[in-house]
Amino acid sequence: MQGTISCTRHYPMIPAAESLRPMPLRTQGDGESVRTLVEENAVMVIGRKGCCMCLVVKRLFFGLGVNPAVLDIDEKMEVEVMNELEKIGVQGGRETVMLPAVYIGGRLFGGLDRVMATHISGELVPILKEVGALWL
Amino acid sequence: MNSTSTHFVPARRVNIYEPLHQFGMWGETFKSNIGNGNLNTPSHIIIQNSQLDNNLSEDTSHGTPLVFDQETSTSRHPDKIKRRLAQNREAAKKSRLRKKAYVQQLETSRLKLIQLEQELDRARQQGFYVGNGIDTSTTTSLGFSENMNPGIVAFEMEYGHWIEEQNKQICELRTVLQGHVGDVELRLLVEIAMKHYFDLFRMKSAAAKEDVFFIMSGMWRTSAERFFLWIGGFRPSDLIKVLLPHFDVMTDQQILDVCNLRQSCQQAEDALSQGMEKLQHTLADCIAGGRLGEGNYVPQVNSAMERAEASVSFVNQADHLRHETLQQMHRILTTRQAARGLLALGEYFQRLRALSSSWATRHREPA
Repeated sequence: MQGTISCTRHYPMIPAAESLRPMPLRTQGDGESVRTLVEENAVMVIGRKGCCMCLVVKRLFFGLGVNPAVLDIDEKMEVEVMNELEKIGVQGGRETVMLPAVYIGGRLFGGLDRVMATHISGELVPILKEVGALWL
Repeated sequence: MNSTSTHFVPARRVNIYEPLHQFGMWGETFKSNIGNGNLNTPSHIIIQNSQLDNNLSEDTSHGTPLVFDQETSTSRHPDKIKRRLAQNREAAKKSRLRKKAYVQQLETSRLKLIQLEQELDRARQQGFYVGNGIDTSTTTSLGFSENMNPGIVAFEMEYGHWIEEQNKQICELRTVLQGHVGDVELRLLVEIAMKHYFDLFRMKSAAAKEDVFFIMSGMWRTSAERFFLWIGGFRPSDLIKVLLPHFDVMTDQQILDVCNLRQSCQQAEDALSQGMEKLQHTLADCIAGGRLGEGNYVPQVNSAMERAEASVSFVNQADHLRHETLQQMHRILTTRQAARGLLALGEYFQRLRALSSSWATRHREPA
């Protein structure tokens, strides 16, 4: 019976910065808007709803002081969104996208693997500064 | 007081029936001793009567046996009597001491046995065999897991070999760094050592697919290592902190780079930890779904199993982080510094394994 359990789980508080970013597209899945979002945002994270790895990516950026746009897609629109994503930035071809996916400066940067690797090697922060996602 | 000691033969005429009567006095003790196969049977009484069981007279080397001579009247040789009585007392005393020592030995062994059984039970509950307290710096402290998953059994075997190889490499690094060694040879050793760690991450990745809970809880590692476990292995930022003072002279740039690396690791670890927390919450919510207490929970368990699979990517990401951290350290340091660092790292884990080993045997030392 729903509602009888009185204690609920709260995820860790997100920094205030997140509430200032533009509202993420959560319901619209049409190709155009996805493309626009990717191109308009310095950093964009796209992931499945409820995916824990997606949370890791987000938290990593927040921890650096970056405010990524976030698109949580649910199963229904996943196929359509993926189709659109795969057309981005590649002339006439398709590149495979694994979720969670990170777009920096309008182009596919990679998954959590690449974000981790470039952060550890110290290359991520300069890239973020280049695209204007970080100012310090 | 031991009843057998007070029953020595009074000086009087002994006839053929006496020995049997003597037995009657000592009967209880003898019976129980025979029953237990007690070696400390007060056997200092050697009775010439051949009707007696030979077992009782097996210990003839201690003390002079008192012989019941039917024909010789003891009243004719008072000195002999005194001597015999004294010898009898002596022998009885020795027998008592032997018996006491033996009983104490039995008691100690009994306690040890109980402790061993307890330890074995505990280890079995954790799902693996504990070796017989062998030194874990040279071998793993585990035999093979009771986990029947062949992939996991294979992994544990491989890990055992990995540790042996690791110990060899550490020895070689230690030897080489104590003497004079060229950079070329040192670079080779560093490459080998790095590759060895990368091999472990590959092994873990395969094993995580077989049983992620096993990997995640560090079951293949020793107890002290598990104490420091973070997502199935070591925490990179902690290791950097531990190793930093052990490098030789570092340039300012190096120190800066290492500090930055530590900070980056910390940030990456935090992000992964938060993701893990969410995964745990999700899993717990899943398990606790429906009504708790009804006794029917197959659907919850099934859906939880699907979610638990997501842990595999966490193990992989954590190992990826460890891999990248090692690579970055390699870039920052000179070959010689890297060699020292790898030696220090290797010995750090050896010490943890030694701690586990000592810890496991700490109650077995005699009081």
